[in-house]
Amino acid sequence: MLNCFEARRRFPSFWKRELQAEARAELTEHLRNCGRCDEAFRAFALTAPVLHSDSAPAGEFPRRVGSSGGFQARRPAALARREAGRRRLAASAAAMLLVAASMAAYLAVTAPIGTLSDELSVEPPVSQIFGMDPNSPGDDLAG
Amino acid sequence: MLRLAGTRKTGWSLAVRTDEELIAEILDGQTAAFSELAARYRPRVERLCQRFFSDPETARDLAQESFIRAYTSLSTYRREMPFGAWLRAIATNLCYDELRRRQRRPEELIADFTASEMQWMNLVNEATPEEIVSAAEQLREAHDMAHRLLDSLRPEDRTVLILRESEGMNVAEIARTMGWSEAKVKIRAFRARRFLRKQAERMKSALGSRTCG
Repeated sequence: MLNCFEARRRFPSFWKRELQAEARAELTEHLRNCGRCDEAFRAFALTAPVLHSDSAPAGEFPRRVGSSGGFQARRPAALARREAGRRRLAASAAAMLLVAASMAAYLAVTAPIGTLSDELSVEPPVSQIFGMDPNSPGDDLAG
Repeated sequence: MLRLAGTRKTGWSLAVRTDEELIAEILDGQTAAFSELAARYRPRVERLCQRFFSDPETARDLAQESFIRAYTSLSTYRREMPFGAWLRAIATNLCYDELRRRQRRPEELIADFTASEMQWMNLVNEATPEEIVSAAEQLREAHDMAHRLLDSLRPEDRTVLILRESEGMNVAEIARTMGWSEAKVKIRAFRARRFLRKQAERMKSALGSRTCG
């Protein structure tokens, strides 16, 4: 007689049709007679198509990796998006610097010589301003 | 040419190079050997990524990025763990980071169903287990609904659930892969299951009210 623990342990194998006929019959019999396990199976069925499906991916994986021509790295979209974000950040910083420089130029004309214009004469790189290096690689996850 | 020492044999008795041999070749400058290594693990990595993201392009991109990371970090690989486990850790962490980056609103109630999704849910509620399994293999809605449910989980909970349920990893392995404590993994697994149970109940009652209305 199958107990509830063993019955639920068989759900993934049942879903993948890996159970022998006898084990499958035992499980379905148990589910017919045990309301709680039957309910647990129906809840299991809601995520099993993703969590317990071993079917081959529908789309063909691009052959950029594993092609006979050797390994060819492509910039994936996720990485490209992150780098686009960094570029946008750098562009915003540059725009802010431009505005600041314009103000400085204006003040240099109107204010006494040797104040704000002197401080802005050497512009620090954007990376120093924001404490980041836009060219640095992403987090190393392999560690 | 077949190599005999330190090789694996396939069912066809053809010797193939082990992961360690391929890695040694790559580190020795023969970068083309990475193609063989990547081809060996590509289906598994892509399948893992597809469990995190329903969008095929995102899953492909993350799988691709996993191989790029593995390639560029190969010199840091230590043989204490199998290469496949190391690669899986890279892919999992990338998927987890992407989940967090997207910052979906977690734990929101799934309320909107299409007619075909309702049909699938009715089937889950009423059909026999055998019929449910058969239908799930054919219905796109079954897959989409499963992803919608998983999308409603927090990234940590979803990651633990995928590693535990799909990859069959134990608590200690998940903790090592993610750099979390075992207590955190246990809590996340508990939370994920409890939340999914609640979501299933909510969906069932929402379905019931629609049927009545």
